[in-house]
Amino acid sequence: MNTESTSLPQNQPKMTEKRAGTFQRILGFIGADNLSLIFALFLLVFLVTVASKWFGLDGGDKFFSWQNLMNSLAQAIVIVGLLSIGETIVIIAGALDISVGSIASIGSVVAASVLAGIGTVGSLHILPTDSVIIAVLAGIAAGVIAGAINGGIVTFLRVNPTIATLGTLAAFAGFAFLLAPDGKPIGVMTQPDFTWLAQGRFLQDLTFMDLGGSKWTGIPVLTVILVGVAIIFHVVMRYTDFGRAIYAIGGNATAARLAGINITRVRMIMYMISGGIAGLAGVLLAARTTSGNPVNGTGLELQAITAVFLGGAATAGGKGTIFGTFLAVIMVGVLNNGMNLLGFNTFTQRVALGFLLVAAVAISQYRQSTADRARKTAERR
Amino acid sequence: MTSDVLPITPTSGPAETISPPGTLEIRHVSKAFPNVQALTDVSLDIRPGEILAFMGENGAGKSTLLKIINGDYQPDEGMLSIDGQKLEFKNPYAAHKAGVRVIYQEPEIIPGVDVAENIWVGELPKRYGWVDRRKLNEKVHDGLVNYGFDGVLPMNLLGEQLSSAQRQVVEIMRALKEGVRILALDEPTSSLSDEEVDRLFTLVRRLRDEGVAIIYVSHRIKEILRLCDRVAILRDGQLITVEQASDLTDSDIVRLMVGRELSDVFKRQTAVTGREVMRVENLESNWHHDINFHINAGEVVGFAGLVGAGRTELAKVVFGELPKNSGRTLLNGKEVNIHLPIDAIANGIGFAPEDRKREGLILVRSVLENASIAILSRLSHFHFVSSRMERAVIGDFVEKLKVRTPSLDQEVGKLSGGNQQKVVLARWLAAKPKILILDEPTRGIDVGAKAEIYHLIDELANEGLGIMLISSELSEILGLADRIYVMQNGRITGELSGESATEEKVLGLAMIDHMTAASAVSISEENTPV
Repeated sequence: MNTESTSLPQNQPKMTEKRAGTFQRILGFIGADNLSLIFALFLLVFLVTVASKWFGLDGGDKFFSWQNLMNSLAQAIVIVGLLSIGETIVIIAGALDISVGSIASIGSVVAASVLAGIGTVGSLHILPTDSVIIAVLAGIAAGVIAGAINGGIVTFLRVNPTIATLGTLAAFAGFAFLLAPDGKPIGVMTQPDFTWLAQGRFLQDLTFMDLGGSKWTGIPVLTVILVGVAIIFHVVMRYTDFGRAIYAIGGNATAARLAGINITRVRMIMYMISGGIAGLAGVLLAARTTSGNPVNGTGLELQAITAVFLGGAATAGGKGTIFGTFLAVIMVGVLNNGMNLLGFNTFTQRVALGFLLVAAVAISQYRQSTADRARKTAERR
Repeated sequence: MTSDVLPITPTSGPAETISPPGTLEIRHVSKAFPNVQALTDVSLDIRPGEILAFMGENGAGKSTLLKIINGDYQPDEGMLSIDGQKLEFKNPYAAHKAGVRVIYQEPEIIPGVDVAENIWVGELPKRYGWVDRRKLNEKVHDGLVNYGFDGVLPMNLLGEQLSSAQRQVVEIMRALKEGVRILALDEPTSSLSDEEVDRLFTLVRRLRDEGVAIIYVSHRIKEILRLCDRVAILRDGQLITVEQASDLTDSDIVRLMVGRELSDVFKRQTAVTGREVMRVENLESNWHHDINFHINAGEVVGFAGLVGAGRTELAKVVFGELPKNSGRTLLNGKEVNIHLPIDAIANGIGFAPEDRKREGLILVRSVLENASIAILSRLSHFHFVSSRMERAVIGDFVEKLKVRTPSLDQEVGKLSGGNQQKVVLARWLAAKPKILILDEPTRGIDVGAKAEIYHLIDELANEGLGIMLISSELSEILGLADRIYVMQNGRITGELSGESATEEKVLGLAMIDHMTAASAVSISEENTPV
C-alpha cells in the first residue's frame, strides 16, 4: 500500500506517555473537579470557625477540638458516608437507589435479631449467638438480598430505577418492622463486643498535642470502617474491569452492550453491592444506637444522594469518583456539625440540606451542559 | 413573521406552460454542512397542477431540498419565491402558514388525542373558551368525506392507534385545512399496502387537478413513472436534469442518477482471498427474508442498497443486537449461536455501528477506556486491569491508526468525528476479530480522514481480516469491495463481483422491483378505483 499518495499530515505528534511529575500525579489523583470541593470545604470550615463570629454567632471555636473532630464529626459522617459510597456506584452507572435507608433499617434489625435471638424470619427461628462476625455478616447478607431484589426489578422487569427503588424504599421499610417483633426495637446493650463497633477507639494510647483544650481520644472504629470501605471501592471503581463497566454503562449503555459488556450482570452486582454496603451501615447503626431499630435508616437516602451529586457525579451517569463523594460527605458532615455548634436547630439543618441537594444537582447539570458545548465545538473542528 | 406570510388565494385551473401563477421558484439554492456540500446552485420550478418527482441516490440532496422548502433549514445562498414574492421561512410553521408543507414519512402525531383534534391541533374551534366538539367533528367529517377518506380514517381513533397510512392522511388533512399550495410527500408509500397506495395516488391526482403543486419523493421508479408528470434528478447536491416522465424509462433514470467520475476515489487492488470465515444461511428476521451470504478471509464484502433496505439491521442481527427468527450463522464452518453482542465478540466478530455517538462510543470517557473496553478481560488479572499492558496495547493501535488526540486520557467526545471513528476501529483491531462489520464507516467525517480509513480497510483485508462493509456511498462500495451484495426491502437482490460492478448495476438491483410482479401489473391499471 502506498501511503505517500494520501494527504496525511506528516508531522503527526508522537504520542508518548510522559512520566508525570509529583505535582501532576497528586493533581491526577485528586482530580480537577475535586479541587473545587476541597476549596469549598476550606471555605465552609472558615465560615464555621471564623466568619461566624462576624455575625455574632458563638460556638465556632469549638470546631477544632479533638472532642469535636474525632467524636462528633468523624462518627457522624460514617453512616451517610457508607450509604453514599454504594450510591456513588449506582449513580455513576446512570441509575439511582433510593431504598438504601430502608435497607439499612433491615440490616440493623437483622443483625440485632441474630445477636438477641428473638427474631424470626417466617417459621425460621434464629438462635442467639455471641459471634459478632455472624451478626455483621447476616446484616450485610440481608442488604445484599434486598439489593438483588432491586437489581431484579430494574434489569428483568425493566422498571425505571428511580420508581423501582422508590417502591422498595417503602416495601423494605415495612419489612424491617415485620422482622422486628411487634415492630419494636431489639436491644443489644448486653453485647459489648458488638457495641465496640460503634464505641471502640484505635490508637488511644498515642499522645498528640491537645487541640482546642481537649485531649486526643483515639480514632473511632466506625471511622476506620468507613475509610476502609471507601478505599476498597475506590480501588474497585478505578482499577477493575467491573469499575470500567460501571462507567461505560453510565456513559452510554447501548455502546457498552455493543462493546461486549454484560449489562444485566453488572447492574445486578451493582445493586447487590449498594445493598450490602447499606446492610453494613445498618449493622453499625444498631451498634451505635445499641438497638436494632426499624426506623434506624429512615431518611438517610436523601443525605447519601446529596453527597454523591455534591461530590461531582453526573446526573446522566458516566462520571464521578468515590473520592469526590468522600469529600462531599465530609462537607455535609461539617455543615451539620457546624450548624450544631453554632446553635441552629435540626429543622434549619434539614432546610439547608434540602437546598444543598438542589444546588449540587444544579452545579452538576451546569457542568454537563458546559461539557456538552465543549464536545460539540470539538466535533465541528 | 409578517413578510413571509402570503394571503392564501385559491389557485386556479390546470397548469399553463411557462411559470404559471403560484409557481414555487427555487433559484440558485446552496446549502453546506460541516464536511458536506449538500446542495449546490439548484434552480427549479414547482408548478401548480403538476406532480414533480425528486429522484436521486442516498445523499443526493433530496432531503436537504425538502427541508429547505419546509423551513427546517435555511439556504446558505439563493432563494425561494412565489409570484415574485420572496419566501423566507424561519421555521416549518412559517412555511405551513404560507401554504407550503412537506409531509415526512413519520408525521408528528399526538398519541393521546383523537383524529379530529390531531388535525385541528393549535386551532381548535372554541365556544365560551371550551372546545366546540360538534363544530370540530363536523369540519373534520366534511373534510374526510370530501377527500374520500371517511371510510379509512375513523375520527374517534386516538393518535397512537393510527397506522402509518392513517398518520399520513392526518398530516395531509392538516395541510388541506390550511389551504396548501405546495405539497411535498417524502417516501409516502414505503410503509403502505398496495390498496393504500392506490388511494393515496387518487388523492394526489385530485389535489393536482385542483391546482396544488406537488413534489413526490420516492425510490420506487415504477411508482414515479406511474404517478408523476415531470422528474427532477439530483446527484451529489446538484440538479442534473428535469424531464417529462413520459420521456423516461427505468434505465434512463438509473443512468441519470449515477454517472459520477470515479477518478478521485480510492480503488482497492483485489487481494487473494482466503477460505470462508463466515456464512449466513436462510436468515429470517422481522426485517429480513431469506438472507444468504458469506465472507472470506481477506475479503471486503460490500453491502449496498438504499436507506431502509435493511443493511444496518442485518449487521445488528448478525451481531446479536437484534433478534432473528430463524437461520444459521457459521464461523469457520461451525455453527455458532449468537444471541447477544457478547456472543458475537467471543466468536471473533467486531462491529463499528453507523451512529458513532449513540451506539459506538462512551463520549464522556477517555480514548483509553473506549478503545480497551472490548478486551478488558484479556488485560485483567483477577479483575484488575493492568494499566501498563492496557496503555501499551491501546497506545500501539492509537498510534497505528494515527488518532489525533493530546493523550490517551482525552475524553472521546472532544475529538473530531474522524478521530472518534478511529477510536472505534482501534477498539476492534485490539480485539483481533476474524470478521469486522463496518456500518457507514466514513459517515460525517472529513475527506482526509476518509482516505485514511479507506487505506486502513484495504490494509486490514490484506492482513486476512474478513470485512463486511455497509455503505450508502456507492463510490465507497465500488472502490473497496471485492464482492458486493445488493439489498432491497430486506432481501438480497443480487451479488456482483468487484470488477464487474458498476453504479448502474448496483442501483438497478437496489431500486428496480424484482420481487413483486404485482406492481408491474398495476401500472397498466392506471385508474384503480378507490
